[in-house]
Amino acid sequence: MARNISRREALKYSAATGAMATGLAGVPRLVAAADPLKVGIVYVSPISEIGWTKQHSLGAEAIADTFGERASITAIDNVWDPQAGERVFAELASTGHGLVFGTSFSHSTPIQKTAPRFPDVAFEHCSGLKHSRNLGTFEAKYYEGTYLAGIAGGHVTESKKLGFIGGFPIPDIVGPGNAMLLGAQSVDPSITCSVIFLNSWFDPAKEKEATAALVAQGCDVICSMTDTATGVQVAEQNGAWSIGYASDMRQFGPTKNLTSFMLDWTSVYVGAARDVLDGTWTSKVRWQGVKEGVVTMSPYNDQLPAGVIDQLTVAEAAIKDGSLHPYRGELRDQQGNVRVAEGSRLSDPDIRGFNWFVEGMVGNLEG
Amino acid sequence: MEIAIAIITGTVVAATPLLFAAMGELVAERSGVLNLGVEGMMLIGAVTAFHVAFAGYPLAVAAGAGVLAGAASSLVFGVLALNLLANQYAAGIALTILGGGLSAFLGREFGAAPIDPVEALHIPVLSDIPVVGRILFDYDPLVYVAFILFGLIWWMLFRTKAGLVLRIIGENPQAAHDIGFKVIPIRYLAVLFGGAMAGLGGAYLAIAYTPLWVENMTAGRGWIALALVVFASWRPLRVLLGAILFGGVNILQLHAQGQGIGPASEFLSALPYLATILVLVLISRNRQTQKVNFPASLAKPFRPGH
Repeated sequence: MARNISRREALKYSAATGAMATGLAGVPRLVAAADPLKVGIVYVSPISEIGWTKQHSLGAEAIADTFGERASITAIDNVWDPQAGERVFAELASTGHGLVFGTSFSHSTPIQKTAPRFPDVAFEHCSGLKHSRNLGTFEAKYYEGTYLAGIAGGHVTESKKLGFIGGFPIPDIVGPGNAMLLGAQSVDPSITCSVIFLNSWFDPAKEKEATAALVAQGCDVICSMTDTATGVQVAEQNGAWSIGYASDMRQFGPTKNLTSFMLDWTSVYVGAARDVLDGTWTSKVRWQGVKEGVVTMSPYNDQLPAGVIDQLTVAEAAIKDGSLHPYRGELRDQQGNVRVAEGSRLSDPDIRGFNWFVEGMVGNLEG
Repeated sequence: MEIAIAIITGTVVAATPLLFAAMGELVAERSGVLNLGVEGMMLIGAVTAFHVAFAGYPLAVAAGAGVLAGAASSLVFGVLALNLLANQYAAGIALTILGGGLSAFLGREFGAAPIDPVEALHIPVLSDIPVVGRILFDYDPLVYVAFILFGLIWWMLFRTKAGLVLRIIGENPQAAHDIGFKVIPIRYLAVLFGGAMAGLGGAYLAIAYTPLWVENMTAGRGWIALALVVFASWRPLRVLLGAILFGGVNILQLHAQGQGIGPASEFLSALPYLATILVLVLISRNRQTQKVNFPASLAKPFRPGH
C-alpha cells in the first residue's frame, strides 16, 4: 500500500539525499571531456601593461597557451569592492566555470562566502588567508624579493634613508617593507626607512604625492608596492633610485630603477588548470618564492658595481637553498624589544601575520 | 625647509584639479542646476586630453581638448535636465557612470604608457628667488590658470551684471523669466561652463599631475569638488579655502606618515575629508549666510509659464 508522503517528509528525504549526494560528489569533477574547461578570473584592478593584475593576466595567458582548445577564459577586471565581488564570483560559478581565480586580498570575503555555495567549482585565491575543501590559496614570498632589492638599495643610498610606499597596511605589505630595510641594513645597519600607506591600491595622484613627500624628506631609494608605476616614474623625475614591484618597471625609470621584484604566477595557474582537467584538483595552500620561481628579480641597474651584483646573485642563491632567511634573528621592533632571538628566525605564522615594524622603520601602525 | 616648501607646492598642485571642478560646479549651481556628473566629466576630460597629448600635441591643445570634451558631456546633461526636465540628481549620476565607463573604454589602449611630464613654467627673475620663487612661481601653466580663473569667477559673480543675472536665475527663475531674462539658455551656459571646468580639472590630472592614464584616476575628486561647493555655502573664496585645505591636509598626512608622526595611516587617510568638512561647516554655520547664498531653485526643474 502506497503511503502518502507528507510534504514535510518529502522535504526531509530530499534534503538527506541531496546532502548525501553532495558528500559523495567529493572534489570538483572535470566536466565532460569534450567541453572546454571554463576558467574564470577576477582581477582587482584594471588590466594594464604592468603591475599586480598584469602578472595575473600572464597566468591566464599561460593557461590559454598551454591548453589551447581545452580551456576557455573569462576575465573580469576592476572588481575591488566586496559586494560586487560576491556577485561576480557567484555569477562565474553558476555559469559553468569549473575553475575560478580571485586575485587579491580584497577578494577574501566574497570568495570565502561564495565557495561553499558551489562545491563543484574549484576556487583559487591569491593572497587569501583561509582555505576550505574547494578553496585553495596561493601567495608569494614577496619579502624574499624585497630583501634582495634592499641589499641593492643599501649599497646605493647616500642619505641612508629608504622610502617605502604600500597600498594597505596588511601583513603582506608590512612584511616586505620590513624585509627591504633588513636587506639594506645587512649592508649598513644605520639605514632607516620611512613608510607611507596610501590606503588604496590604485591612486596614482596620491602615489605621486607620497613619492614626492618621501623624496622631500631625504629618502633616495623608493620602493612603491602598489599597482601602478607612478612611484618609479616620480622617483626618476626627482633623481631618486626606485625599486619596482610585480613587473619589470625599467621603462619608467630608465636611469635610476635599481631592480623590480617580479611575480610569476604562471606555474600556479597552469598547475591548477591541469589538475582540474585531470580531475585531481584538491585545495592546496601554496606559499612560494624565489625557489619556486614565483618571485624573480628583474635585471639589476648597470650602474651597480659588479661586486654588488655578485653579492646579490650569491644572496639569491642562498635564499633559494634556504641558507639565508630574510627574517633571521636578531630582530628588534621599533621600541627596541627583541622579537626574534639571534640564531632563530621569524616563524611562518608570524610572517603571515606580520603587523609590526622592525627597528629603523619610520612609521606608525598602531591607531 | 625643504619639507615645508614641498608641502606648500604639493598643496597648491593638489588643490588645482579640485579648484577647476569646484569653480565650474559653483557657477552651475548658482544658476540653479545641480550637476552630480562632475566625476564622470572629469574622467572624460582626462581621457580626451591624454589622447591628444599622447598623439604629440602641446599642453594647451590637450587641455583645450579636455575642456571641449567636458563641455560636450555636460551638454548631454543639459538636455536631460533643462529640456527634458529630468530629475537632476538622477541625470547627474547617470553622467558620472557614463563618464566612468566611457573613459575606461577609451583609455584601454594606453596600457600604462606615460607621456612626457609637463615642465614648470619658468618665469624669468621671479622663479629664481630662493624660497618665495619656488613657492609662488614654479608651477606649470595650468596651476596659474586655476587661480586666475578663481579670481575671474569671483569677480564675474559678484561684480558684474552677468553674475547678478545668473544668481537671480538661481534664486527665483520664475521671476527672472517674467522680467525677461532667458532662463534656460543662461542655465545651459552655466552648465556648459561647469562641464568645461570639470573636463579641465580632469585634463590637468592626466597630463600634468601624473602623466599617465589610469582607469578611474580621479579617484573621487569630482565628488569632493561637489561637496566643497555645498559645504562652502556657494561662496567662491570658501571653495578655494576648501580646495587648499583638502589638498593640503592630504599632503600633510603623507608627510606625517613618512616621518612616523601621528596615528595610523587609516585615520590619517580619512583626515583630509574630516578636516575639510569640519572647517567648512564651522565657518558656514551662520544661518544668514547659508540662506543668502543658497540658490533657492537648486535642482528644481524650471518650466517656463508655470
